[in-house]
Amino acid sequence: MNTSPSAGGLSRRSLLRGGLAAGGLGAAATLSGCSSPLAAGLAGTPLNPETLTFWNLFGGGDGVRLQTMLDKYAADTGPGSLQSATFAWGNPYYTKVSLATIGDKPPDVAVAHLTRASNLAEAGLLTPITAEMLSLVDLTSADFNQKVWEAQKVAGQDWVVPLDTHPFVMFYNVDVCEKAGLLGPDGKLAPIEGQEAFAAALTAAKQATGGVGLSVANINEFATPWRFFQTLYSQREGATQFLSESGTEITMNDDLVVSTLEYIAKLAQDGLINKASDYAGSQTEMFTGKSAFYLQGEWEITTAQGIEGLRFGMVPVPTIFDKPAAQADSHTFILPRMERTEAQMQRAMGFIKSMLDQSMTWAQGGHVPSYLPTLESAEYKALEPQADYSAAADVAEYDSPAWYSGSGSNFETIVGAAIGLVQQGLSSPQDALASMRSQLETYANTANPL
Amino acid sequence: MSTPTIAPLRGPAVSSKQQGGVGFPENKPAWLFLAPFGIFFVLFLVAPTVYMFISSFFNTSIAKSGLGSFAGFANYQEMLTKPEFWSSMWHTLQFTLYTTPPLVVLAFVFAVLANRVRRGQWFFRLAFFVPFILPSATISLIWVFIFAPTNGLFAQLQTWLGNAIPTPVLADPSSAMIGIAVATIWWTLGFNFILYLAGLQDIPRELYEAAAIDGTTPWQQIRYITIPLLSRTTSLVVVLQIIASLKVFDQVYLMTSGGPGTSTQVALGLITNTAFTDFRSGAASAASVLLFIVILAIAIIRQLLERNQERTA
Amino acid sequence: MATTTVGGGRKGSGVSAAAPAARGAQNSSQNSTRTFNIVCGVVLGVFAIIWLIPSLWALKTSLTSNAVSALGTPAILADTSPTLASYLTLMRGGDIWNWYLASFITSAVTVALTLLFGSMAGYALSRMRFRGRNIVFALMLAGIMIPGTVLVVPIFEGLGAVNLLNTYWAVILPQVPAVIAVFVFKQFFDGLPVEMEEAARLDGAGYWRIYRSVIMPLSKPVLAAMGILTFVNVWNNLLLPLFVVSNPDLMTIPVGLATVQGSFGQRYSDIQASSIMGALPLVILFLFFQKRIVEGVAGTGLKG
Repeated sequence: MNTSPSAGGLSRRSLLRGGLAAGGLGAAATLSGCSSPLAAGLAGTPLNPETLTFWNLFGGGDGVRLQTMLDKYAADTGPGSLQSATFAWGNPYYTKVSLATIGDKPPDVAVAHLTRASNLAEAGLLTPITAEMLSLVDLTSADFNQKVWEAQKVAGQDWVVPLDTHPFVMFYNVDVCEKAGLLGPDGKLAPIEGQEAFAAALTAAKQATGGVGLSVANINEFATPWRFFQTLYSQREGATQFLSESGTEITMNDDLVVSTLEYIAKLAQDGLINKASDYAGSQTEMFTGKSAFYLQGEWEITTAQGIEGLRFGMVPVPTIFDKPAAQADSHTFILPRMERTEAQMQRAMGFIKSMLDQSMTWAQGGHVPSYLPTLESAEYKALEPQADYSAAADVAEYDSPAWYSGSGSNFETIVGAAIGLVQQGLSSPQDALASMRSQLETYANTANPL
Repeated sequence: MSTPTIAPLRGPAVSSKQQGGVGFPENKPAWLFLAPFGIFFVLFLVAPTVYMFISSFFNTSIAKSGLGSFAGFANYQEMLTKPEFWSSMWHTLQFTLYTTPPLVVLAFVFAVLANRVRRGQWFFRLAFFVPFILPSATISLIWVFIFAPTNGLFAQLQTWLGNAIPTPVLADPSSAMIGIAVATIWWTLGFNFILYLAGLQDIPRELYEAAAIDGTTPWQQIRYITIPLLSRTTSLVVVLQIIASLKVFDQVYLMTSGGPGTSTQVALGLITNTAFTDFRSGAASAASVLLFIVILAIAIIRQLLERNQERTA
Repeated sequence: MATTTVGGGRKGSGVSAAAPAARGAQNSSQNSTRTFNIVCGVVLGVFAIIWLIPSLWALKTSLTSNAVSALGTPAILADTSPTLASYLTLMRGGDIWNWYLASFITSAVTVALTLLFGSMAGYALSRMRFRGRNIVFALMLAGIMIPGTVLVVPIFEGLGAVNLLNTYWAVILPQVPAVIAVFVFKQFFDGLPVEMEEAARLDGAGYWRIYRSVIMPLSKPVLAAMGILTFVNVWNNLLLPLFVVSNPDLMTIPVGLATVQGSFGQRYSDIQASSIMGALPLVILFLFFQKRIVEGVAGTGLKG
């Protein structure tokens, strides 16, 4: 080969250049300004420090309403001030929030369910909310529904700014209830209280529909059977928390669990509630008059409103046992753990305040506002059917805190599956209890990863 | 490893002269040439493997730094006694059983057919092979839409065929895995197709010509020439497919996230959930080690098979 | 059927008639083979069309307006006014450009590093005698069997420990040590004649110069094949970037499509447009490098 020594020198230099290219790219990116994804990706510089980033998990009707609220914020604060991202609901979302925080690139503000925020707080992934931070935007803890405020505390500290409560409620088909003679003089559902009254109402409804009295999803569904069960169980005197000591102990009242399951099994057996319906099916039954009542979270108001010709109302789940109670969770704002300048903190709190101020828009999607100035406003009290069931938020029963518990968690999957089988008549209450216990024990005995 | 290097080929006299009695004069340059790759190899293959084994004995959490408290065999015991673990292994096997036979048979048939057709090769490659190089995200978005309940193409097809209540393929625990398998077959068939096509082109034309002179039917030619001579390709395809199936994650994560319920949850899905949703990387490592052992065992069997074939070939 | 009779006839015919009978058999079997080939072509064509339907369906949906596609399959089929609205929405959104950027940079840098380091290692293994060579070989062989995907948890923890999560490097670095590349290069170099290297050595060239000015120029085909295959693999990887990158601005195309799809809600046309956009660069790559890709896959049996 006729390669000259100088070519060898050149090639060594180009090796050097090749080796440095990687570093050079990073350096060039740093120079090109720190707002570009290129710089962030190569040199790890912060992304868009001037923009507030906000992550959420709202799809469907909630997503549309949220967008309205975000648009308002963006219009108030100027173009490019907000960057929001919507992720798929449930575990994938919380995984993203956690991993982003662990990886040091969290959003400025994110949405979290109250029952999941407590886990993030325990994992050290959140910035605590202090009175000073609230005062930046003229808020105090007294501005919020105290039921929610108390529920969000972990280790004596505050971790979230609550947006709403979303209790498990009862929808009713006005036409069917009218036919069954269940309406009061005001054209709304007459109050139902106690086991006998409830059974009588369901029987009357069953006769009117020719189907079942009440539909509640239990097929391919874990959350709904749990919400249904937890609502009934919590209504009983002597009901204890399912889990205690951060989930290391299983403390449910076995007798009450069995007797509540027996109650559900009996309703299904008597044909007063469905034996097997999935999420959409249980809705359709009420919408089409094949059942008079339908149990689900209040967010399904958007779906119900979209059904042409459907006249419906919403009330808290009747107090069938000793005291009112409703399974619930809350959407809250969290500040993932990160270094924040004063300006960033001010901006984050300003964003949260803007969302709270638009609670009325949010409430149209069914959620009960946690922000008292909205909840107690005349405007909200005039909002129907929202105002008819908002009392359910005051008797909200949150899932017991544990690292494997909360909305969409392993806990709900385990317990919900067992309850769904009882309603189907495929499992006895005792077997369901045993199955819940043995599966929960695996988690209770596992070292808490948080 | 069996391929001889140049040094021994040159003969002992030359090489001993070159080596000048020092032994390995090429030590320094060799290690310099190996170093860059070696560093990456150690950092991103060896070290993670070692760390995975170690942390599988600890209560490691991704939310905390360090290994956490010592757990002994508790993570393994948990996995081996947990129904979710075994069901995820079963779903992985189920996926393998649903995808491997069609992927082998269809790819073989298509390749044999394509090999007989002179014109339009580019068209068949386009149709069969292009899906293979597309991202799993694209594949999943397309098939989730095809399988969409009521609105989807497949639901419509069922309606046209007289089924008033079409099966929501991915929403039904009994059919969700079939839906995932169908999408996977569509996606990866092209890979096997190309391997078979290459294998077919290695079969000397004279064999067929001789057989034709002997008056064999095309079917007999396939039966007695093509299939036996492609057996090596077939075993390669099968083993690659099994290994890929054990590592299945993308389609399941994207199309059903392991649902409905946990009816399509596969091993890697369970591992990533345990690590990244439950934060329990120690327990996830134990599950990884178990999966690792299974994949390794199959890879070793493959190596042995290949060596065997090389010897007999 | 025809062929069997002819075959039988040939067997029955005497030695004297052997030649013409054989010719007859050949002719007739050629005829039947031709028929058979045509049948093959038709059958295969039908399958190919079936195979194209999903892509065409996605394309058709993406070119329909959201309002029409929301009405379901019959409406999409009946629609005759194609629109680029969904593509324009996507392109204006900005996210997709960031995803393209991330995918392009991570793929290109990974390809460059894999080719450089893999070929260097392959060269050392192919041409050099050194102490510990057998151990290196054994390690590499073991490495080829390590299922990389299983290592995603420890790799995540390692990247977190050195603060590389949420950077492109978190996607690039773990994908560089593709052991298969070393073996492919080694095998290729083994097949190269040593004469040119010997000549260069006599000229006083060192290993690096030989590698650079003799070996590399001869290795263009293998570099191209490995480069394209690595590019496609890195571009399509979901598992690793899904967990090591959580910021939407830094996501690669597959991760972006997978995670942010929630915001599209039920907008079928937008979703399908995004899936087509995600596929587009690879389809273009395929059209340009069809032969190399196919040869590469057939030659290495490399599967993602």
